[in-house]
Amino acid sequence: MFLTRSEYDRGVNTFSPEGRLFQVEYAIEAIKLGSTTVGVKTDEGVVLGVEKRVQSPLIESSSIEKIMEIDDHLGCAMSGLTADARTMIDHARVTAQNHSFTYDERIKVESVTQAVCDLALRFGESVHDEDAMMSRPFGVALLIAGIDELGPQLYHTDPSGTFVRYQAKAIGSGSEAAQAELQDKWHSKMTLKEAQTLTLRILKQVMEEKLDRHNVQLAQVTKEKGFEILDETSLKAIIDEM
Amino acid sequence: MSIMEYNGGSVVAMVGKDCVAIASDLRLGNQALGISSNFQKIFPVTDRIFLGLPGLATDVTTLRETFRFRVNMYTIKEEREIEPETFAHLVSSTLYEPTGGFRPFIAATDLIGCLNFAKDFVVAGTASTKLYGTAEGLWEPDLDPEQLFETISQTMLNAVDRDAYSGWGVVVHVIEKDKVTTRTLKGRMD
Amino acid sequence: MPDMVALSRQQPQERQFNPYSENGGTILAISGADFSVIAGDTRQSEGYSIQTRYAPKVFRLTDKAVLAVNGFAADGNMFVKQVRQRLEWYRHAHAKDMPLRAIARLIQTMLYARRFFPYYVYNILGGIEDDGSGAVYSFDPVGSYERESCRAAGAAQSLVQPFLDNQIYFKNQVPQPGMTHPKHLPLGTVGDGLEMFVVLAKGSPLYGLENFDGVQEMTSTHEGERIFVVRRNLKRD
Repeated sequence: MFLTRSEYDRGVNTFSPEGRLFQVEYAIEAIKLGSTTVGVKTDEGVVLGVEKRVQSPLIESSSIEKIMEIDDHLGCAMSGLTADARTMIDHARVTAQNHSFTYDERIKVESVTQAVCDLALRFGESVHDEDAMMSRPFGVALLIAGIDELGPQLYHTDPSGTFVRYQAKAIGSGSEAAQAELQDKWHSKMTLKEAQTLTLRILKQVMEEKLDRHNVQLAQVTKEKGFEILDETSLKAIIDEM
Repeated sequence: MSIMEYNGGSVVAMVGKDCVAIASDLRLGNQALGISSNFQKIFPVTDRIFLGLPGLATDVTTLRETFRFRVNMYTIKEEREIEPETFAHLVSSTLYEPTGGFRPFIAATDLIGCLNFAKDFVVAGTASTKLYGTAEGLWEPDLDPEQLFETISQTMLNAVDRDAYSGWGVVVHVIEKDKVTTRTLKGRMD
Repeated sequence: MPDMVALSRQQPQERQFNPYSENGGTILAISGADFSVIAGDTRQSEGYSIQTRYAPKVFRLTDKAVLAVNGFAADGNMFVKQVRQRLEWYRHAHAKDMPLRAIARLIQTMLYARRFFPYYVYNILGGIEDDGSGAVYSFDPVGSYERESCRAAGAAQSLVQPFLDNQIYFKNQVPQPGMTHPKHLPLGTVGDGLEMFVVLAKGSPLYGLENFDGVQEMTSTHEGERIFVVRRNLKRD
């Protein structure tokens, strides 16, 4: 099996005889090595939570950034090769700003997700005089949270450029256990507060370290206040109430 | 630039039932610069003839004197008051070398004296296109003196508010068989 | 070589090509609380000659947006074509019709993109906003824009606009003691043009529009916004 695979798993733009793109599949595998990231949608808004893996006590944990703002009404959490996410979020930010410049309205959550996914497949070899494109697929998955005229929404994107809307989604190393727990605990009448505690509880279950305000990050998108990353004070308050 | 725009100013006259009205703005300018907000452009010729002279201020003053002289000469020679229609022709012939009766009578001339006897209203000055629009929309036949006053006032005020060269107040004369009512209206000062 | 001598004596000559012309006509739009009326004459002329008596310059864009273009007809028609293309792209990308205020902003960016070779057109956009209110947006040729209650543009702008100031904005009018001027005009008092579009907000009454002379409904359902067109012959002179 491995022998046959090796002939086709190098080129990013070559299908295997079984119709697979191994580099893309490997990229999806790479995400499973990433830190656990959870997103929960409620009628009041969307909650994003990430585990910050602090590998050394000398790391300043506040410098680990795994949740980022795209626009006032859009946020994003990542898992995998976080450096790759910068390129994607940069693209998402430019797309969102261009939209409000041209149309004087906030871009829809689905539209910005589509824009990010359009970028995800631009790998391969460049054609004659074209500028060189990306050499490999992105090694990161995103949870894009936002509010538009259709209400609060949560999208998941992966390195294949596929995007799917979820009510609750977990990605990263602890995603299997986390997703099972979400499936068990999520319900449509959930409040934002309940979503915050659910997110933290799940992260707590799958994390190796003991959860505290330094090794998790929580963000939310609400109709009233838009996207916000919760500061350590409010994060501590939620952890204490858990 | 048209010579009309050097000092600015506009005049409108309207026919009512047994009455006429004539109105002008009060601005005197030097192109865009405002100079005076009490510059009269309408002058009594006889007890029932008023002449409105929008245009170059120096000509306004000169022509007022010219017409005073010629009307006085007419009155002395003919031993009677000049008729509005006769006066209109006097204006025309004088200019070919400026208007505003009892049959309600109004008339206007262009800068070189071409006469326009209208049955409804006549306009002149830098706000003339605006005056045509407002007058065409507001004027109706057989207005009584009070209605005619309101109509000509609204016509004038709204027209000069859209003209940079006219405005700074309006004066309205309503002429009836045996009386003339003159009112000064406040207008926008911007 | 006499030719060379003649050539050397020639004065420098300047040649110019003027790519613009002015095709006359007037457009006008008025908005009320839950409706918008957009009208334009249909004559197209150049100088003193009439090219045609029926060249519409009012165009339906979406179920609740109508655009009137006045100035250079070729630029106007091409501009409407491009706006419509952008509206279709938007529909495909975002799975919805572009809202009125988004169309207004789009028109600004499209006009300003041609800042140094402008479309020689004055645009007036009328329709219904997402909140259900009637709206009019007016533009200059390079994209300055403003939401207003009424606007006229074109050959008769200077005649119509002060009249609108008086009748729509009640300028120079003082209300009766204890009364206020109405914020919006009822549809019945809004006048006629040669080709006039009326856009009614969802669930709005007809204001007697069904008895209007020469009216024709362009929408097939009564559920959403309804668009009517009134075509009238004015004096053929």
